[in-house]
Amino acid sequence: MALQDLCNFGDMFQEPGYLEESPIQFGFPFASSESVPLPFPMGHGTTTLAFLFQGGVLAAADTRSSCSGLVACPAAQKILPIHSHLVGTTSGTSADCALWKRILSRELRLYQLRHGRRLSTGGAAKLLSHMLHPFKGTELCVAATLCGWDGGELDDGCRDDHKGSEADDSERRDTTETPKADVETTAGAPGEKVSLSKTQSSSCTKRQCSRRKISFSGPGLFYVCSDGTRLEGKLFSVGSGSPYAYSILDQGVRWGLTVEEATSIAREAVYRATHRDAYSGNFVDIYHVTPNGWTRRTREDLKEEYYREKERVKTRGKQRETSREKKSKHRGVFWRDKLASSEQILN
Amino acid sequence: MALVEVSGLKPFTEPSEQIFGTRQTSLVDRPNHYSFGTSVQEFAVPVGEEPAGFLESCNREGGVSIDMNHGTTTLAFKFKHGVIVAVDSRASAGRYLASNDVNKVIEINPYLLGTMSGSAADCQYWERLLAKECRLYRLRNNHRISVAAASKLLCNMMLGYRGMGLSVGSMICGWDKEGPGLYYVDDNGTRLSGRMFSTGCGNGYAYGVVDSGYREDMTVEEAYELGCRGIAHATHRDAYSGGVVNMYHMREDGWIKVCKEDVSQLIHRYKEGMF
Repeated sequence: MALQDLCNFGDMFQEPGYLEESPIQFGFPFASSESVPLPFPMGHGTTTLAFLFQGGVLAAADTRSSCSGLVACPAAQKILPIHSHLVGTTSGTSADCALWKRILSRELRLYQLRHGRRLSTGGAAKLLSHMLHPFKGTELCVAATLCGWDGGELDDGCRDDHKGSEADDSERRDTTETPKADVETTAGAPGEKVSLSKTQSSSCTKRQCSRRKISFSGPGLFYVCSDGTRLEGKLFSVGSGSPYAYSILDQGVRWGLTVEEATSIAREAVYRATHRDAYSGNFVDIYHVTPNGWTRRTREDLKEEYYREKERVKTRGKQRETSREKKSKHRGVFWRDKLASSEQILN
Repeated sequence: MALVEVSGLKPFTEPSEQIFGTRQTSLVDRPNHYSFGTSVQEFAVPVGEEPAGFLESCNREGGVSIDMNHGTTTLAFKFKHGVIVAVDSRASAGRYLASNDVNKVIEINPYLLGTMSGSAADCQYWERLLAKECRLYRLRNNHRISVAAASKLLCNMMLGYRGMGLSVGSMICGWDKEGPGLYYVDDNGTRLSGRMFSTGCGNGYAYGVVDSGYREDMTVEEAYELGCRGIAHATHRDAYSGGVVNMYHMREDGWIKVCKEDVSQLIHRYKEGMF
């Protein structure tokens, strides 16, 4: 301390020093040069979407990275894994998103090491939202949806019983057992089959119980934006291509979808958005988050999808010529009656 | 006119000279509207400031942002059995909902329809004017005006007032000698012929639905369903669209009004079995 005072180092190392300056003026004299001005105010130039269903969470995104009219990278990665059970879709400025995702991963890992359990998706969303808050009003632009699977690894006793906790705990077993040993007073011994909720309520301290309203294990989907928005939902689509994707998703997304159906709806939604939106295109990435972690499908070229659709239309046209009447039976009845009644009115 | 010139009276051109300084040959201040077909192009302009300059001060660079958003959703597509036109029915003035039951399709004549998006006043006025011109054409030439020509008339009207703050996004649909016709006409003077268009701020949502469900050889019932779905999903997500779906079907012998469905009923029907 004395040496610090002597060398006048004290000012530099004050704890919240880097935040004392308002971020709006931070770096002001060295403001980044104006890039080519945007021709019109555009939304985040991408299409990303995510939704919940019975098989977990599905996240899909295109891969075009654009820079005011130039396609900077046709094979960018817009869905970034944060940890084994959490992925985040990114939209906005790619650099900002990549940086904040890495910061979030680091913070979540620190949380996990300190508390012996993964932070829930909602907690991660809150953390990201609070980290982005000091930069509100600056040109930081991050719009992310966090898709994850929560819970399932708190209790070591019932691991065999609950399918939600198998694969992830192998690397965490050594970290969780030692700090938790004192907490687990009446928990079942390893191997004893108890239900998840019972073990959790018995193994948590009073403080943790009061904080945790529901012992929740399941999928989570949150939208976080750099202007401070943080929303929980079952279906989100972000980016300039989102209107086109939303209507496809609104039509088809239900809780009871199978994984194949969900994948094909997500792919169709991204394809339609890339078809109409200039700032989305090239490939589609699809990630699926399950209790065992996230899995990623091979990247698919949407150009192929376009040609496949042309083929489908051609073959369907041929099929139609042979079986004309069968198609319009169900939906057609409603309209045939309406048509008949409207014609009667006109006549 | 000759008497006016001989007697030295200049009642029409003088005010414009005083206001604009230099003599602008084509601006005449008259209470009458745009007059098509005269040898000298004449545009009626309101007395006062020059509109184009005034509007420039109203956009973002001037610090004010008066955005002319086309707050609606309309769609139209051509298929084997004609043209389907579907529109919503919400009229908004900023954040205030003026009406939930506006008819945004103008029945120009039994074989021509025009849709409206943008400023309701502009669309209604100019499309009624177009209706007048189409009728005059029919009387003068003894045959119906083609869809291409009708859309060109509207387009030229828009071009005459380009930059002066009109806000019109319209689709002209009809059936003429060449078959079903669909044109998109804009306040910038854009005029495009196409197979499918959707205008308004809800158009993105409608594009997704119609693109994925469109087939050239759809049956009539399928086309009606597609049109309804497009508008319904757009009204579900867009705040400035809503009300009812007004749907028209343009056939060879003229248009028919298919239905007027409440969008909330439609959305409930579509969402049965979902979350």
